[in-house]
Amino acid sequence: MRYVPVVGLEIHCELLTNSKVFCTCQNEFGGSENTRVCPRCSGMPGTLPLLNRGAVRLAAKAGYALGCTVHGYSAFDRKNYFYPDLPKAYQITQFDSPICTDGHVTVTGGKDIRINRIHIEEDAGKLVHDDYEGVSMADYNRCGVPLIEIVTEPDFRTVEEVQDFVEQVALRLKYAGVCDARMEQGSMRVDVNISIMPEGSDTFGTRAELKNLNSLKAIGRAIEYEIQRQSEILDAGGEVVQETRRYNDNHGDTKALRSKEEAHDYRYFPEPDIPPVRLTDGEMDEIRSEMPEMPQERFKRYTEVYKLPAEDAGLIIADKAFSDFYDAAVAINPDYKQISNLMLVELNRNLNEAETGMEDLKFTPEDLANTVKMASDGVISKNAAKEIVSIMFAEGGKPEDIAKKRGFIMSSDTSELDAAIDKVFAENVDSVESYKNGNEKVFGFLMGQVIRALGKGANPKLAKDALTEKLK
Amino acid sequence: MVNEELTRHLAELSKIEFTDDECAAMTKDMESIIALMDKVCEFDSSKKAYALDAVGYGDLRADEYKNSYPTEKITSNAKNVKNNSFVVPKVV
Amino acid sequence: MSLADIRKKLDRKEISAVELTEEYLRKIEETDGKINSYITVCADTAIEDAKRAQEAIDEGRGGAFTGLPVSVKDNICTDGVKTTCASRMLEDFVPPYDATAVTKLKGAGAVILGKTNMDEFAMGGSSQTSYFGGVKNPYDTTRVTGGSSGGAAASVAAGLCAAALGSDTGGSVRQPAAFCGVTGLKPTYGAVSRWGLIAFASSLDQIGVVAESAEDAGYILNGIYGFDENDATSSKLATGGYTEKVGAYVSNIRIGVPKEFFADGIDDEVKTAVLKAVDYYKSLGCEITDVSLPSLEYAVSAYYLISSAEAASNLSRFDGIKYGYRSGLGEDYSDLIKNSRREGFGNEVKRRIMLGNYALCSGYYDAYYKNATRIRTQIRREYADIFEKCDVILTPTAPTTAYKIGEQENDPVKMYLADIYTVTVNIAGLPAISTTCGYDKNGMPIGMSLIGRAFDEKTIILVCDRFEKDFERKEAVL
Repeated sequence: MRYVPVVGLEIHCELLTNSKVFCTCQNEFGGSENTRVCPRCSGMPGTLPLLNRGAVRLAAKAGYALGCTVHGYSAFDRKNYFYPDLPKAYQITQFDSPICTDGHVTVTGGKDIRINRIHIEEDAGKLVHDDYEGVSMADYNRCGVPLIEIVTEPDFRTVEEVQDFVEQVALRLKYAGVCDARMEQGSMRVDVNISIMPEGSDTFGTRAELKNLNSLKAIGRAIEYEIQRQSEILDAGGEVVQETRRYNDNHGDTKALRSKEEAHDYRYFPEPDIPPVRLTDGEMDEIRSEMPEMPQERFKRYTEVYKLPAEDAGLIIADKAFSDFYDAAVAINPDYKQISNLMLVELNRNLNEAETGMEDLKFTPEDLANTVKMASDGVISKNAAKEIVSIMFAEGGKPEDIAKKRGFIMSSDTSELDAAIDKVFAENVDSVESYKNGNEKVFGFLMGQVIRALGKGANPKLAKDALTEKLK
Repeated sequence: MVNEELTRHLAELSKIEFTDDECAAMTKDMESIIALMDKVCEFDSSKKAYALDAVGYGDLRADEYKNSYPTEKITSNAKNVKNNSFVVPKVV
Repeated sequence: MSLADIRKKLDRKEISAVELTEEYLRKIEETDGKINSYITVCADTAIEDAKRAQEAIDEGRGGAFTGLPVSVKDNICTDGVKTTCASRMLEDFVPPYDATAVTKLKGAGAVILGKTNMDEFAMGGSSQTSYFGGVKNPYDTTRVTGGSSGGAAASVAAGLCAAALGSDTGGSVRQPAAFCGVTGLKPTYGAVSRWGLIAFASSLDQIGVVAESAEDAGYILNGIYGFDENDATSSKLATGGYTEKVGAYVSNIRIGVPKEFFADGIDDEVKTAVLKAVDYYKSLGCEITDVSLPSLEYAVSAYYLISSAEAASNLSRFDGIKYGYRSGLGEDYSDLIKNSRREGFGNEVKRRIMLGNYALCSGYYDAYYKNATRIRTQIRREYADIFEKCDVILTPTAPTTAYKIGEQENDPVKMYLADIYTVTVNIAGLPAISTTCGYDKNGMPIGMSLIGRAFDEKTIILVCDRFEKDFERKEAVL
C-alpha cells in the first residue's frame, strides 16, 4: 500500500541571553565541567529560581518572528522526572499557559504550517559516558540555559515541507536575534513526530518520536527511513508502537531508545516558586518595535521593489549580516542589481577563499556603494570595480584611493585618445580598409588595439565613441 | 482503590525502594491517608483553582550575568566526583 | 528576659556579648541533653561572632541585634555549617551559602548559637521524626514539643537561646510554641525571604520566629523581613516596624471568633482556656464577633494534598548524587537513587512523597490536587469575608496540649487531623501568632492563635502583647 507521512515538529532553541534563565550564571556554550554553575542551577537545597526578563523578551520575539499570538499572561509549571542531567529532578517549563500560541509559517508550495505553541523552559546538563568505568559523569554548565520549545501541528506531509520549515524558522530566529540556530552544535534541536496513514485516509496512525537529528539532511534521511520502517510494519499486518527513537547518522536508521519506565507521567503542576508573568500591551509593543525586518519580507522587497532575480534575493537573505550589508549599501547607492552582483560574486568568492565571515570585513557598505557608483559614472571600468572589491577585502582602504593609486581612473583626455587611434590606424591599414568595405567584425579587433594602446586608464566608452566616429 | 499495585506505582514515581514488608505497611498507611484526602473530591470543581498573583515583566531580573560559584563549592557535598563532574552509574 | 532587656544590658555593658553567649552555651551543654533541642551547636563560631559583636558595641557601632544569641532551625541554610533537615539524607550536608534571614541576622551582629532539631524535612507535628532523635518538652520531658519547629520552641522555653528562627508550613512554628508555652509568629507569606529555607511546600513555607513574647517575636521579624530579589515570591508589601504598635489601646480592635474552630475534636480544657481569652478581650472593650469559615472541613485534606504534592517535587532532588546520603546499593542509576532515598528518608517523609505523587499523577490530578487548589481559593475568599467584619481572628492553636511521646505520632491520620486549626493560615498566606493562654491539669501549656490580615503583623503583635502583659506564665523547670 502507499502511505502518506504525517509529521509534526518539536524544536528546542537555546536563547541568546547573557545569563541563564533562572540564575545569574553566564549563558555560554561549552566550558570546563561545572564552571558555569551556582547553587541555583545545580539544584542545591534551599535555592529558588529567578526568572530572566531577557528570556521572556526573546521568547516573545520568537513568537513575533513566527506569526504567533504573544500572551499578556503566561505561567510556569514543573515537569517531574528523574535523570542525572536534571539536578532538581524537575524541569521548569510552561505547560498550561505558554507565552506564545497559534503561529504559522508558509512553506514551499504555499502551504501554511500551524504552530501550536512556543513556551519557555530550561535546558538540562550534559552527561559524558565512561564505558571503561561504566559510569556517566554529569556536567551542569548547560543546566538552566534558556530554551524555547516550538511545537507545530502535524501539518507536514513531505520531507521538503519539513526541511523548508526548519530552514525558515532557523533563519527567522537568527534575524530576530533569538537563537543562533546551529543544529550541529545543538543550539537548535529538532524532534520529529511521525506517523503514516494510507493514501487517501485522514486517520492518523501511531507516531514515533525521532531524536538526535543534527542537520537538515539527517531530518530528511530519518523521515525517509521511518516511512519505510512503519510501512513495512503495517504491510506485514503489524502495529506501530508509540515510542521514542534515536536516529543514527552513521547508519541512517532509527533505533528505539531503551527505557525501563512505562509511559512517562510527568506530574505537571504550577511552579510555586515563580509567579506568572504579565506583559502589558505597551511592553509587547516595545518588544515588537525591536524586531528587525524578517527574511521573508526582505525577499519580497528584493524581488518586487528591487527587481532582483528570486535566486539572488534568496542568496542575499540567507545570511542576515550579508543582507544587512546589502541594505546599507543600496541605501547609499540604489544600484540594486550591480551591488547584488558584486556581493554575490566578488565578495562571496573572497569570503569563501578566505574562510571568513561578514563580521571580519575590512570595508563598509558605503565603500561598496561608492565603488559601484564610480563604475556606473564611467570613472572606472566594471572590471576595475571587481578588482577594487578584492583589494578592499584583502587590505581595506577607500575605493577612490585605490582607484587612483592603481591607475584605475579612466582617462577623458581626447588628444591622447586621438593619438592612440591614429597610431592603431597607421599600424592596421588593412583592417581599417576592411571595415570601411563593410566588414564590421573587425571593429572589436580595432577597439582592443586602442584599449591596449591606452593602457590602464582606458575609458572604454569614450574610446568606442571616438573610434566609431573616426571610422565613419 | 488503594492496593499494593498502586503503592508500587507511586514508589516508582517517587523513586523509593520498598521491601515487600515495607510496601505492605505503606499500603496500609496510604489507605487510611487517602480515605482522609477523599474529602476534597466532593468539592465543587467549577470553582477557580488557586494561582499566584502575576508579576510585571518590568519587575523580572535584568539579563545580566555574574560570576558562577567555584566548582569545588558545587561539588563538595557529593560522594563521588571525577573530572569535576558528578558520577552516576552509566545511563543510556 | 526580653530582647529589649538583653539589649539594654549589653548596651550598658552590664554583660558583654561574649559572656552572654558563653552563658547560653554553658546552659545548652548542661541541659540540652534532657530535651535534645539542638542538632548542631556552633560553640566556636558563636564566640567569634560574640567577640565581633562586643567590638561593635565598644566602638559604638552596635545595633538592635548586635550580640543577641539566637538559634536557627536546621532547615535554614548556614554557610559552612551543617544543615540537615533532621534527616539522614542531609546528615553531613554543608551549604555553601546563607539563607537570607541568616544573612540579615548575621549582618546585624546577631550570634548564631546553633541549629535546632525538628521533624524530618519539617514534616510532622511532634518533632519525633528527627533522624537525630526526638525533641522533649521542657515542661515535661516525657511529652512531645509539637513540631516541626520543636527544637526552636524547646530552645526558647528552656532558655537555651534568646529567640529562635523556625519555619511554618502548616503550623510548624505556632503549634510547638503552643505546646512549649512560648510565642510563635508565622509572618505573612512573602514577608520573609525563603531563600535558603530548604523547601518543604514552597507555596506554604514561611520562616517564622519563636520567642518569649509577641514583642520579642516582632523584634526578630524587624530584622529578617523584607523583599529579597533572590525569592520571586517575597513581597514588597512587608512594612517593618512590627513592634511599634505595642502598648497601644486595643479596645477598638474587632475580634472574630470562628465557630468551626470550637466544634468537635477540641479538648475541653483547651476550649475553656481559649474562650476565657475571648472574655478577656471582651473585658477590654474589644468587639467580639461570631464569624464562620465554612470550608474548614476541607482544610486538612486540601493542605496535605498541596503540601505533599509540592514536597514530592521539592524532595526529588535528593538522590545521593550531588549531595546527601548515597546508598552503597544499586547497580544502575535508578536502583542507586531508589536505595539512597529508601535509606535516607524516614517513614513520614516517604508517606508525604507517596501521597504527593498520588495527588499529582495522571488520573488523580483533577480530583485531588486541582480540587485542593480550588479549596485554597475558597478558603482565601472566606478569610477575606471575615476580615470585612473584624481585624483579628482568635482561634485555638491546636486541639490538644502536648501528648506523651509515642502516643499518637505514629498514626498519620490522627497527626494530620491535629493540624486543623493552623493549616488554613498557610493556605491563605496570612500572618498568625500563637501564645500561651492557660495550662491543662498536667501543667502543660495551652495555646491560642491570633490571625491577622495579610502584612498586618503589627496588629496581631499588639493584640497578643496585650494579653501576654496580663497573663502569668509558668516557667519550664528542667
